[in-house]
Amino acid sequence: MLDYLVSLSVFAGLYGLLALGLNLVWGLGGMVNLGLAGLFAIGAYASALAELRLHLALPAAAILATLLAAGAGALLAVVTARLKGDYLAIVTLGFAEVIQLLAANEIWLTNGTDGLSAIPAPGRGQLSPFHFDIASTSAVWLAVILVSLLLWRLSQAPYGRALRAIREDETVAAVAGKRVLAFKVSAFAAGSAVMGLAGSLYAAYTGYVAPDSFDVLVTLLVVLALTAGGLGSMAGAVLGAILVVVLTEGTRFLGGLLPDLSALQVASLRQGMIGVFLLLLLRFRPEGILPERMRRHHLED
Amino acid sequence: MTARISRRTALAGSLALPFLARTGEAAASIPLGAINPLTGAGGAYGPSMAKVAKALVERINRTGGVIGRPIALDVEDDQTNPTVGVEAAHKLIDVEKVVAIVGTWASAVTTAVAPLCWDSHTMLFCVSGADSITRLPHHGYIIRTQPNTYLQSGRAAEFLLRHGCKRVFGLSAQTPFAVDSWNRLKAVLGQGGAEGVGDIIYDAKQTSFRSEIDRALAAKPDTLFLNSYAPDLEILLRESYQAGFAGKRFTFAYAATDAVLKALPAPVTNGLWSFAPSPDVASPAYKAVQAILGISDPDPYSCQIYDHVALVALAIGKAGVASGVAIHDNVRRISQGPGQHVSDPVEGLRLLAEGKKINYDGASGPCHFTPSGDILSCKFLFQVAENRHNKTLSIS
Repeated sequence: MLDYLVSLSVFAGLYGLLALGLNLVWGLGGMVNLGLAGLFAIGAYASALAELRLHLALPAAAILATLLAAGAGALLAVVTARLKGDYLAIVTLGFAEVIQLLAANEIWLTNGTDGLSAIPAPGRGQLSPFHFDIASTSAVWLAVILVSLLLWRLSQAPYGRALRAIREDETVAAVAGKRVLAFKVSAFAAGSAVMGLAGSLYAAYTGYVAPDSFDVLVTLLVVLALTAGGLGSMAGAVLGAILVVVLTEGTRFLGGLLPDLSALQVASLRQGMIGVFLLLLLRFRPEGILPERMRRHHLED
Repeated sequence: MTARISRRTALAGSLALPFLARTGEAAASIPLGAINPLTGAGGAYGPSMAKVAKALVERINRTGGVIGRPIALDVEDDQTNPTVGVEAAHKLIDVEKVVAIVGTWASAVTTAVAPLCWDSHTMLFCVSGADSITRLPHHGYIIRTQPNTYLQSGRAAEFLLRHGCKRVFGLSAQTPFAVDSWNRLKAVLGQGGAEGVGDIIYDAKQTSFRSEIDRALAAKPDTLFLNSYAPDLEILLRESYQAGFAGKRFTFAYAATDAVLKALPAPVTNGLWSFAPSPDVASPAYKAVQAILGISDPDPYSCQIYDHVALVALAIGKAGVASGVAIHDNVRRISQGPGQHVSDPVEGLRLLAEGKKINYDGASGPCHFTPSGDILSCKFLFQVAENRHNKTLSIS
């Protein structure tokens, strides 16, 4: 059981990183970025290819993956600079689809739908599977802690205030002298960098990447994590990611409790329960479990 | 010497008792895992696969189990997604301590789950098609019941040779298996005195293939090998007919659908050959799958998972030990080689208990495996289009 919980904590940490990245872009910047599966894929493929073809060590590959994802994110932000809300959501979702199609069809680079396997990671093969999972979860959660501290600091800094001002009203922010486009692009790039880092760690941990790993499911889970945890709050993003893993994996044990249901019924019930949970949460606590806290400054009379 | 039981030992002993009882209880049933695409892209197949696996496990348990122990089957959904598949495999291996995982469907899920299996000495039985799977460094822990590209293309080429085709041109949609497929076909044609006169890989999303067809016909083929999907096959058939090609055409059964035959005039599609790997429809095991699902034409994957469960049970019955290593070491000793042919796993278990040798022939085919885990042969269905319907030529 412990082995299983440790391996789940790795996935919880990876979802946590993705949720943190999305939180900077969407939570603080107000830009609905549903392209996160694409940026996650860019990070994973870049890291895997750097390790397999260029024979870089994982840390170097992770840095490369992070930078590449940041670049792609910046480009996406420039292209979509004029879009907002639903329109931005659709275009970014399309971006993720394009990346998945590229991964499936550019066989010379990505090995197509067969994917890239045997991606090296320090300790794999030398450590027992259990100890490898312990090492992986330590590395992933170290990244989660560092990234959340960094992003929290950023959100408290003048940069974060300006970003929130743009989220609330772009025109007002522009009138106040903030360079809206520069803020948007830099936030998008930084958020994408975090997603790219998550991709690199994912590739190293599972040792395998394929286009199927980056379908819309991962986007849905991360959006769910962020909404449940509290949009705009870094601690909320991480808590939401843990909650999503507890919810999706905990419901696996339903089958044992309901032996009369068929496997399909249990599977459908599991997915239904996740949907019901989200509905209840949005009905009774629309701001999430750990909502964003605004510092208010009281003026002296 | 007298045995003295101090209060401390008594306390330690009584504290340990519940754990001993627990291990005794856990040893009673043999944990077996299934990872099936119950939802997602494979959702059309997963539920019936799970049903077949459960029904066979229940039947084995009703008739006394394996080496006197019942099998406890845990079916997990992979949502046709590799990440979810890995999470499911962690649960099965780390929590349930399964001896084997059966029925992984999508190639990406199988490839993602495979390292967890071979690291933990858990046998993995899959129905995925990608050739790359059995090339993984799996140390014998993967068994695949789905014919790979090599086997399929070889059998296609033999069919063409039997029907007197001499000059074959390949037109293939861009897929991971397009190149492997053509190379194998060309090699077998060459051995049989025929010739692969050229090939083109095209983008299946094109709306016209006139230039491809012109290039193909310039090579003067007597047969077109159309490695297509349904939408592009329809265009290729129409445009090659319009271009005056009167030779033979060969394709996959999943492309030559009823919809394609209905969409084109009969003269365009008449004589179109198509083929698909087929379960062994004459086998009693196939009839058992029909009975479980209550349908006359169960899909190949449901037939294959029936064989997965049977192979696991029989390998454990042979070894007398329930572990992944025991299955790994014994699966070929009950599926191939000398021994009495059986198609009913329960009968096979009885024969094994009597110390007899058996050779299991399943619903999907003879279940003979290469050292790398691929099947050596299986039945293929060949059909021909006549008046907008597919007519079975042979199942061989």
